[in-house]
Amino acid sequence: MKILMVEDNERVSQFVVKGLQEAGHTTDHAGNGRDGMFLAASEPYDVIIMDRMLPGDIEGLAIVEVLRKTGKRTPILILSALADVDDRIRGLRSGGDDYLTKPFAFGELLARLDALHRRAQGVNQEVPLLVGDLRLEPMTRKVTRGERPIILQPREFKLLEYLMRHADQVVTRTMLLESVWDYHFDPQTNVVDVHISKLRQKIDAQFDRPLLRTVRNAGYMITAAD
Amino acid sequence: MARMIRSSAMTLALGCILLGLLALVLFAAPLWYAWQGTIRAGRTEILQADAQRLTDVYRRDGVDGLKSFIDARIRMQIAGDRILLLTDAARHPLAGNLPAWPDVPTRPGDYRVQVAIGDHGTGDHGVQMALVHVVRLGSYDLLIGRDNRLFAPLEQRFWYGLAGAIAVLSIAGMMIGFITRRALMSRVDSIRQTVSAIIHGDLKHRLPTRLRDDELNTLSLTINGMLDQIELLVHGVRNVSNAIAHDLRTPLAELRTRLEGLATIRPSRDETFAEIDAAVADVDRVIRVFDALLRLAEIDAGLRRSGFVSVDMTDLAATAVEFYEPAAELMGITLRFESDQPPPVSGDPILLAQALTNLIDNALKFAPAHGRIEVSVRGRPDGAVQLAVTDNGPGIRDAEKAKVVERFYRGDASRGTPGAGLGLSLVQAVAKLHGSTLELLDRRPGLQALITVTPAPLAAEPPGPPAGPGASAELASTALPARQPYPTVAAP
Repeated sequence: MKILMVEDNERVSQFVVKGLQEAGHTTDHAGNGRDGMFLAASEPYDVIIMDRMLPGDIEGLAIVEVLRKTGKRTPILILSALADVDDRIRGLRSGGDDYLTKPFAFGELLARLDALHRRAQGVNQEVPLLVGDLRLEPMTRKVTRGERPIILQPREFKLLEYLMRHADQVVTRTMLLESVWDYHFDPQTNVVDVHISKLRQKIDAQFDRPLLRTVRNAGYMITAAD
Repeated sequence: MARMIRSSAMTLALGCILLGLLALVLFAAPLWYAWQGTIRAGRTEILQADAQRLTDVYRRDGVDGLKSFIDARIRMQIAGDRILLLTDAARHPLAGNLPAWPDVPTRPGDYRVQVAIGDHGTGDHGVQMALVHVVRLGSYDLLIGRDNRLFAPLEQRFWYGLAGAIAVLSIAGMMIGFITRRALMSRVDSIRQTVSAIIHGDLKHRLPTRLRDDELNTLSLTINGMLDQIELLVHGVRNVSNAIAHDLRTPLAELRTRLEGLATIRPSRDETFAEIDAAVADVDRVIRVFDALLRLAEIDAGLRRSGFVSVDMTDLAATAVEFYEPAAELMGITLRFESDQPPPVSGDPILLAQALTNLIDNALKFAPAHGRIEVSVRGRPDGAVQLAVTDNGPGIRDAEKAKVVERFYRGDASRGTPGAGLGLSLVQAVAKLHGSTLELLDRRPGLQALITVTPAPLAAEPPGPPAGPGASAELASTALPARQPYPTVAAP
């Protein structure tokens, strides 16, 4: 992925850029709104990370708005210390695709960037999703592994569908809460883990090769790779 | 002194004194005039009779006869109550006890005049006010008068009496004013001392109150009530700051120790990574407490009321129950859901969902093994919707009920369980935002936590379509596109 990061905090941007490069992404960095605007408008990026409060005369959200008005559809993740619900709404209304508040875990940022990129490539509703021998048909809501049909509750289906649409990517608990349950807060107990283990019972328990994996300190990943 | 006069008690006393004096004058003045009028009328009659008699003498015996009559009369003077003077046309005294014609015209009539009565053996009466009658007899002028000697003491007594009354009134008034002021000042002083003690930080003090219910007492009682409330709030704030300090200090202290340990001990690679993971967890704890506090502050400020939309409480509760079902199953707890399908109410779906998950979370924490938890949604006839979470756990003692909703309060039962003690505070804040409070009811055994969402008029903007065609119907908070700021990735 080719990523642009517009962020004025030196330490944060260094850390993120280094992390993204280690994860195999090409990353450009702009330290102020003017440079950010210029790069975002002229270079083709897969994803843009945009800080909200930038030094100088151009604010993060203003850049997002201008980009959208000029027809740029690059997915944008807004990164901000402003955590109020109203701030989030403003951020997303101005044309951002996702909103992450500081302080954040790097794993969360990486997972969300992957998800944004994947989503931007287009989701075909009709194409069955395949991970190894696990097959999910979004239209008929049929799930099979090998030859064996798997019966899932509606929510389990939704959970599996989300995981499979982001196959080979780390998906964080927060992402699952937001997209599967629409819960934009952190429940006190790790209920998501229980849902995952229940799902695992159904899709992995009777098979030699587990597909649904727990990624330590980050979240989960469904993959057929070793 | 100036301060004393400025005092309200003194001002009042002075006002009363002035009013008293005015009343006295209003009472005495007519009396005085009536009295004087009566005396005058009586005397005029006497003087006219006298004049008649002297005129008769003049007519009978001529001027010499009158002179001797006057002389004789003055000699036998019945005290000095008679003033007599006969003059010729040139105003030379011919007979009488006045040395000269006083300052009255010679026209016949009655006059009031100052006269100096000469010494005629019976004693000098000096200058005094007298009523005189003037008659003309041929070319002679005759002046007949009576002095005021008889009435002087009476008048004097009248004036003395008036002066005495004024003096008594003034002194008594001043004294009452002074005493009232002292009494008032002593109470005001005690209030002032108490208040200044409170200003200096000792909130334990209360204003002195009496059994008698006067204005000052009522004020004191009101102020005491205010102080009780302030003390409660300060106490609350102090508790919260202590709790914040504790809840933030503990992970920060751990974090510090860990980092310091890493810097000084420089352990092996694996150990280092383990320590870093633990440090990240510490930071996450701090962030969680922070987020919870900010969220509470946001709700408390009432900022989110603008975001009210139509919420189907049945959907919302069903989602939450379904969300917790696997966890409950794992713990061997039965989680049941019941709803009488009330119509939607206006509310904040995100906050209501969070409040409900907090309640279920709590119930799960405290329910016994093989316990039961029941979530119910019931409509009330007035359109309000009651959301209740009932467990059969140990419940909460009455004494603790008020405290559990306080920020950072953690009951004895919750020691050793995760959480910052903000869960029920958040539920309480959400309930308040929706026009009710969190009710904690005994269900022996167990506890029922109840919040009521009262039907508030929806904002002017028309409610949008319920849920997008592709979005699953059981999604709780898809009521309005405007309130769904986060893109649902899985939904097309």
